[in-house]
Amino acid sequence: MNLARHSRKAFRATPFYFLLASVGFILLFPFYWGFISSLKFEKDIYDFSGNFLLAERPNLLNYGTLFGTPHVFTWFWNTFSVSVATTAIAVTISVMAGFAIARLRFRGAAIAGTLVFITYLAPRTFLFVPLAQILNGWGLLGTLPSLWLTYPTFLIPFCTWLLSGYFANVPHEPEECAMVDGASRVSAIVRITLPMAMPGIITAAIFSFTASWNELLYAIAFVSGGDNKMLTNGIVGVFIGGDYFSWGPLMAAATVSSLPIAILYFFFTDRFVSGITAGATKG
Amino acid sequence: MAGLLHKESSLGYILLGPGFVFLAVMMAYPFFYAVFLSFTDKQMGADANFTGLENYAKLLGTNLFSKTVVNSLVYTLFALVLKFCGGLVLAVMLNRPFVGQRAAKALFLLPWIMPTVFSTMIWSWIYHPAFSIVNEVLIGKLHLLSEPIPFLRQETWAMASLIYVNVWRGVPFFGITFMAAIQGVSTEILEASRIDGANRWQSFWQITFPMILPVVIIVSLISTIGTLGDFDLPFLLTRGGPNDATTLFSLTAYTLTFSSGFVGLGAAVTMTMFPLLILLVIASLISVRRQEAN
Repeated sequence: MNLARHSRKAFRATPFYFLLASVGFILLFPFYWGFISSLKFEKDIYDFSGNFLLAERPNLLNYGTLFGTPHVFTWFWNTFSVSVATTAIAVTISVMAGFAIARLRFRGAAIAGTLVFITYLAPRTFLFVPLAQILNGWGLLGTLPSLWLTYPTFLIPFCTWLLSGYFANVPHEPEECAMVDGASRVSAIVRITLPMAMPGIITAAIFSFTASWNELLYAIAFVSGGDNKMLTNGIVGVFIGGDYFSWGPLMAAATVSSLPIAILYFFFTDRFVSGITAGATKG
Repeated sequence: MAGLLHKESSLGYILLGPGFVFLAVMMAYPFFYAVFLSFTDKQMGADANFTGLENYAKLLGTNLFSKTVVNSLVYTLFALVLKFCGGLVLAVMLNRPFVGQRAAKALFLLPWIMPTVFSTMIWSWIYHPAFSIVNEVLIGKLHLLSEPIPFLRQETWAMASLIYVNVWRGVPFFGITFMAAIQGVSTEILEASRIDGANRWQSFWQITFPMILPVVIIVSLISTIGTLGDFDLPFLLTRGGPNDATTLFSLTAYTLTFSSGFVGLGAAVTMTMFPLLILLVIASLISVRRQEAN
């Protein structure tokens, strides 16, 4: 009886699981295909006879080719160091601005909030042409500091917006109590409120790091020379030079370059989800 | 000094200062500089001379620019509608309890999380002119087609292929945000409507959807602005080709500025996005205000 009801329920759910599996396949298969291709020999990549969905003779030759490419380790280091530097700059500035907008009463706080939202909406496309000229005038075009200065332009608006939302939801009483007990406002903020807003700050940091790691347009437009490139423009430049694409090493590069973000995501899935939903739905 | 830091208003200005200065120097100033450049004949490495509206007149006379505008609108509109519908389906689907729900939510978000540049490289392999896995399966294994699909080599197909990748990447974002909004809808109201005889379909469209509408509108507007300014996909997949069929605002501006050296003309291209962008930003501001008022 119970079993019959169970199987009837399972049967009714079949179309749902079929839909679920199809959606999962559509969303995830490209990653699988890229990864499997990275494990194949050059000639097996183009061979669709037999079981092409598996690597029959899996090997890491493509990864060897990738790491044998000049400058690749430098690009990894550049990407890592630029992402860390811009995250530090953006999160520091955003914590200060987000706190002020959310919790301090002063003339212009509301306007500042609106301005931050407007800058959040400005696409990168809009600024890269003049920024290149300005950076050139400052003697920074082609060098990594040009990215330290320009990446925060799209990180600060998002982080400030996100953090002002977090700060608005942290209760005021503990901070006020500390001040009644004689703490200065700054030390009350640093010791009481900042730790309470830590989940938001971590979310902002993860988002900044990921966005810097993924950036392409500014990297292509503002840095040049083998030693200054980021992974994105470096790898795109080497493997997509001319008409000949080396697909094996290219897929290895895609896998390896995405790995740090995948690991970060694996450990902080909930932070990513709350960041996305807060970023999109917070008023 | 200690007094300044203690007073609420002065501390407010001190904390806002660095962000304000940074955005003023790195965003406001470049914006006005771009307006200026767009009225000049500035070329890479040369001085700028004021030429008035000449760049804009020049753009209006070129095929490249009219194609850029049409492409950008087609790309944005189709991608938005598909992401919207796909996101709604995904949200409703993931909202229903099932075995492995947590894992599915985490995995389905991957196209949005993984670096666009590298996932787009995989797509460029999937769309390969001679060794596309899609063509191999459709022709060689399933015998559904006799001719390979010219994914990136024929004008309409190239645009469709680009839109597909944009939708693939964006649907999880729409899905997750819509789902968060759906979870905020009170179950009591939904149950009440059920008791009143509404079926699932009716209660979704009459109760859930109107309640998540503010979030839906904000997400759609933010995504529209991002899609309109997209650079990565056309740059990596088609370089704007074939026949300029997939070049968008950003790629055209990039090509004119950095490949051809016409900085003034490139700035003018980005400026032509401005009226549309302003409308979208105003619409976003209004809908965020409404959301706050609720």
